[in-house]
Amino acid sequence: MSADVRTVVAAAADGCEDPHIFNDFGCGFEAPTTSLFFPTPWLDFGLPATSGITKYTALLVVSVLIVIGFWFFTTRRAKVVPGRGQSVAEMLVVFIRDQMVRPGMGKRGDAYLPLMVTLFLFILTMNVMGIIPGAQLPVTSNLAFPAVLALSIYLLWNIIGIREHGFAGHFKGKLVPGGAPAWILPVLVPIEFISNFVFRPVTHAVRLFATMFAGHMLLAVFAAAGFYLFNPDAGGILGVISVGYSGMALVGFLVFTAFELFIMGLQAYVFVLLASFYIGEAIEGAH
Amino acid sequence: MITMAAEQENILRIHWDEFTFGLIAFLLILGVVTKMWPRMTKALDERANQIEGGIERAKKAEAEAEEIRQQYREKLEEAHREYARELEKAKEQRAAIIAEAREEAQTEARRILDAAHAQIEADRQQALVQLRAEIGSLSTDLAGRIVGETLSDSAAQSRVIDRFLAELEQGESAAQQAEVR
Repeated sequence: MSADVRTVVAAAADGCEDPHIFNDFGCGFEAPTTSLFFPTPWLDFGLPATSGITKYTALLVVSVLIVIGFWFFTTRRAKVVPGRGQSVAEMLVVFIRDQMVRPGMGKRGDAYLPLMVTLFLFILTMNVMGIIPGAQLPVTSNLAFPAVLALSIYLLWNIIGIREHGFAGHFKGKLVPGGAPAWILPVLVPIEFISNFVFRPVTHAVRLFATMFAGHMLLAVFAAAGFYLFNPDAGGILGVISVGYSGMALVGFLVFTAFELFIMGLQAYVFVLLASFYIGEAIEGAH
Repeated sequence: MITMAAEQENILRIHWDEFTFGLIAFLLILGVVTKMWPRMTKALDERANQIEGGIERAKKAEAEAEEIRQQYREKLEEAHREYARELEKAKEQRAAIIAEAREEAQTEARRILDAAHAQIEADRQQALVQLRAEIGSLSTDLAGRIVGETLSDSAAQSRVIDRFLAELEQGESAAQQAEVR
């Protein structure tokens, strides 16, 4: 039984003697709440706006170890004739280069390829933590982690833009759209500012966070429902019906788990693709 | 307890400790990937080089083979031409030999024929001379006997004989001509 389900069961058990369908106490279904995303800290720092050492921290460490280990062992002895591990790493790099980096930055993007490979592997691993039994909590469902990455890309975007076009050139290129008549600029510049300098990094982070959050919530609902519906002790036909319901929930859970895996890869792809487009745009200048 | 927690829980929270951990994690991975990066690119570049080198070598070998094939073809053509030339020459030689042999044979035949003619002529002359002498003496004998006197004068004798022979010859050639006709 996964950690999620245990949380749900604990929560449900608080208010009800028998948290199953057809119980004798008249308890309804308690849907899992967002407390799923607030694991109890194992070590609390006691400081404001901190979470302490939680499951997120642990899974973050695991993700880092997995990514570093994967990269280290596949490229440690990179040879002309590649082994299996090296081939996998190379395929991944070529995929990231051709599908994400080159569309956004062209050949110049090859310099940023290590960054993009890092982002992709890191995000994908953090996402996949959501369906690894025992972990079952995508690290990216905590906004802090997507925010770090989006903010890094945001800073890099500004730094590269200023380096390539100068301070004024960068901000002018991003705030004043070429070809716009002068009288509309007082309206346009604030819009561009909010759109490019505020909303864009926020949406970059929130897009990843929100999909992971929602996907995990969905899986938790299926898991909790499956547990709630499973009550063979209800007696007679009711027990059979409850098991049937529970089976349907299980099927839904499995289907959505597969779907989640796809979404996890897709979101990592989207994040890296957008990062590549942003940096490519900073290199290019006016948009 | 759940509701209380839910009130405190803001799903959009960014706690700075988690943020810092995330940053450290990101930089750690970025560091390792960047550190290991040259190994991969080096291997990739080397492989590209080797493949390019292989293609280069293959192209060279192909060109070489083509050249050799060309040479071979030229040689073959040359041999064919040579053969044709030899054949032509042989034909000519054969014709020449035949012509020569024919020429020689004709010459030989003519020579033999001439020699035969000469021989015949010589024999005839000889026979004629002999005959003339014999006929001379015979006729003298005969005339002496008939006339009863000996023609002691040698000059007169030969004059008589010559005249006689000339008459004889004339009659003979006339007879021959008549015969031919």
